[in-house]
Amino acid sequence: MTRSPTMKGSLITPAGRRLMWRSAVISVFLISFAFFSIWAFYHYRPTGPMAWLLALLPSLGIIGQMAVFGVYLSEEKDELNVAILVKSMLWSIGGTLSVTTVWGYLEAFAHIRRLELLWVYPIFVVFQTISSLLVRWRYR
Amino acid sequence: MKNRLRVLRAERDWSQADLAERLEVSRQSVNAIETGKFDPSLPLAFKLARLFETTIEEIFTDEANA
Repeated sequence: MTRSPTMKGSLITPAGRRLMWRSAVISVFLISFAFFSIWAFYHYRPTGPMAWLLALLPSLGIIGQMAVFGVYLSEEKDELNVAILVKSMLWSIGGTLSVTTVWGYLEAFAHIRRLELLWVYPIFVVFQTISSLLVRWRYR
Repeated sequence: MKNRLRVLRAERDWSQADLAERLEVSRQSVNAIETGKFDPSLPLAFKLARLFETTIEEIFTDEANA
């Protein structure tokens, strides 16, 4: 039988390790792009295509993270890990949609403070972190 | 779904980690399957059956028919 030399019954699979590495690299780019864009807008007040480019730069990291999740789902051979990620993402999407929809109605009718759309992904990350811990705990 | 994984494993003196390594899955997966918290896919169930040289029905029991 061919055995994975790196797995040895551990909790983290090779695909899981690659997910963590890729996510860490993407996070560095995301944070760097975000700080760079804020710095550039604060100091140079760009307009036109440059403003568009700088505004879109931080979102590349988020799109990259979604791609990393997609690659992980195609690479991961451990069914439980796939199930945990899929379930936690569904809970996260549900939670994010609920919070942003409720906030949107409160904004429209109760005139509460406006929620910038760029906060949607951080809200998703909070839900993703909590739900992945809870889903994983359920399978302990 | 009930299963006899713990018994089959004990007969061979395999730990959960040993079985996980042979199946190329995480130890947590083996534990979740063994405790009935997670039902494996058909390919993984066949892999288990091949590994223990038995049939899927000998390992897993449908609780509705138990």
